Amino acid sequence: MTYSVVHLEHLTKQYSNSSTPAVLDVSIDIPEGAVFGLLGPNGAGKSTTVMILCGLLRPDSGKVYVMEKNMLEHGTAIRKKIGVAPQEIALFPSLTAYENLFYFGRMYGLNASFIRKQIEQYLDIFGLAVKSKKLVNTFSGGMKRRLNLIAALLHQPKLVILDEPTAGVDVQSRNLILDFLSDLRSQGTTIIYSSHVLEEAERLCSHVGIINEGKLMSAGTLSAVMGKHPDCQNLEQLFLKLTGKNIRD
Amino acid sequence: MKILATIYKEFLLLIRDPGGMALIFIMPLALVIVMALVQDAPFRDYQEFRIDVLLIDNDTDSLSAKLKEAFNASRNVNLIILSDTVEATALVRSGKYKAAIIIPKDASNTLRKNTRQLITSIFSNFGLAADQTDSAELPIVTLEILLDPAIKANFQQTLSGAIEKIIATVQTGWVLEELQNQLSEGNAEAKKIDFDLSQIIQVSQRYASENKYQGLVLNSVQHNVPAWTMFAMFFILYPLAGNFIKEREEGSMLRLRLISGSQFPIISGKFAFYFIVCLVQFLMMILVGIFVMPFLGLSKLVLGEDVVLIFITASCVAMAATGYGILIAVYFRTAQQALSFGSISVVILSAIGGVWVPVYVMPEILQTLSQFSPMSWGLESFNDLFLRQASFQTILPNLLRLVGFALVTGTASIIVNNARTVE
Repeated sequence: MTYSVVHLEHLTKQYSNSSTPAVLDVSIDIPEGAVFGLLGPNGAGKSTTVMILCGLLRPDSGKVYVMEKNMLEHGTAIRKKIGVAPQEIALFPSLTAYENLFYFGRMYGLNASFIRKQIEQYLDIFGLAVKSKKLVNTFSGGMKRRLNLIAALLHQPKLVILDEPTAGVDVQSRNLILDFLSDLRSQGTTIIYSSHVLEEAERLCSHVGIINEGKLMSAGTLSAVMGKHPDCQNLEQLFLKLTGKNIRD
Repeated sequence: MKILATIYKEFLLLIRDPGGMALIFIMPLALVIVMALVQDAPFRDYQEFRIDVLLIDNDTDSLSAKLKEAFNASRNVNLIILSDTVEATALVRSGKYKAAIIIPKDASNTLRKNTRQLITSIFSNFGLAADQTDSAELPIVTLEILLDPAIKANFQQTLSGAIEKIIATVQTGWVLEELQNQLSEGNAEAKKIDFDLSQIIQVSQRYASENKYQGLVLNSVQHNVPAWTMFAMFFILYPLAGNFIKEREEGSMLRLRLISGSQFPIISGKFAFYFIVCLVQFLMMILVGIFVMPFLGLSKLVLGEDVVLIFITASCVAMAATGYGILIAVYFRTAQQALSFGSISVVILSAIGGVWVPVYVMPEILQTLSQFSPMSWGLESFNDLFLRQASFQTILPNLLRLVGFALVTGTASIIVNNARTVE
């Protein structure tokens, strides 16, 4: 039996200021080493699912298991093994790239020499080594996005959750990020990848889950999901078929 | 390690924020200097206070001479002699001078005759021989004091009291002289005695403090330096809450929430850093009180003897101020809410805590409320140490209140922040 790094079971969450649930009866299994594309239009419930998965939001009902541990009971321990790159640039603009990463490394509880090694390695990979002593508020959008990703990887997490990791970046930066994620996957790291860019998802993901109005419309390996809809030529056609063509806000 | 990392991170953020640095270090120094200068006159003892008073001397006799002599010896009043009552009235009315004393014509002579008649009537009443040469009823001598409507009530009382005292002294002297005159009539050998009335009774004033600190009272510097230092320390909430909410809005706080479930190292690190900042503020303000205030013509700040107790008190105030700042930062969701509520609440706490004016001059209801202001606890402790050379036991209750306040606000901050980590 395949080991599920993430196991969501009948997850439901409704916000107090909303008349409809943000997430309704969602069940997902993500096997180890998979790149899971969590796809859906705006307001579909992707961010709510990710927040629950990170332990920042409590579901109304359902179970959340990450690495076979209940998130609600072992949140602190689980979070140490998860790396999250939120959609927001979660960095201190008045600190340099190095200072940001060193501080986050410390907050992960890592020792100084290991943090330095990790910082040097990742800054080099992401083409930021020469900018390490520059303040983040002088960085371009693409540079900030790459640094945001590095901050999620310093502690060598087994599960990486990426929310729109390529939003607002140029083609070169996007290519670099996607290549890196492919390498990361090949090293056995499980990745949850939330995005609107279906072309990227098709290139990167081994598994997908399409969510619409809080409900999981389809989930599984990319080939299996596509196989259920032979009339769809690509992921974008399938996405539009399952979520409709109405504009979402 | 996480706490140390957070302290270092906060240090880097602060030194790269010129506005925050100015708010924390420059503005309080400017504030304490300005407030000490502004409040110097109201605080200054009237013994040190000198005011120009007009004197219209229509008498030019003993009474006016005695008044001039007494006021010239006084440090409070500088007499300016004028001859025109109308001019003097106009000058006082315009506010150029605060008061004018008008001595009526023939005042000394009338007062002298009044005294003689008084002695004569006493002698007659006891069946003694008395000089009956002048028994016509004499008018009452009225000295007029013209006052500027804007004069302070306590100065008015001081001036009236001083004049009445001078008149009483003059009249007593004349009474004794007239008694000797009438008793010595027919006795050419009788010698007159000059009485020094000050030898009969004296009023001695001294402050109930150690000899070394005699004369040290609550002046503008002694009040304003600790008072506005505490205000500045509590105002630390402004950069503290501002940065905290900025981190929350920019997303860096989200990452910290994602890294660890417990917010204790983050809150503790911020608490420790701003606690140190508060102590640095305190040290700077004290140095200004000691070294800068005298250059501005103000008194030098006197700290008393126990530097360790002062440090402990400053630490307790710093803990209370930082705890309050963090609670405001954590509780409010937007910077606008936090900074508006925080700054207004600090102004209110400082007002009822005796920062603006000493608690003893406030209405009773505010004096009662002041017991609930942490700034009142701190200020009272500093006054105890600076002016009264109090012991640790004396200031302990206020120190415990400050530490209790810090513990309550600090714990509440951690609880609220942890509760919001998982919603």
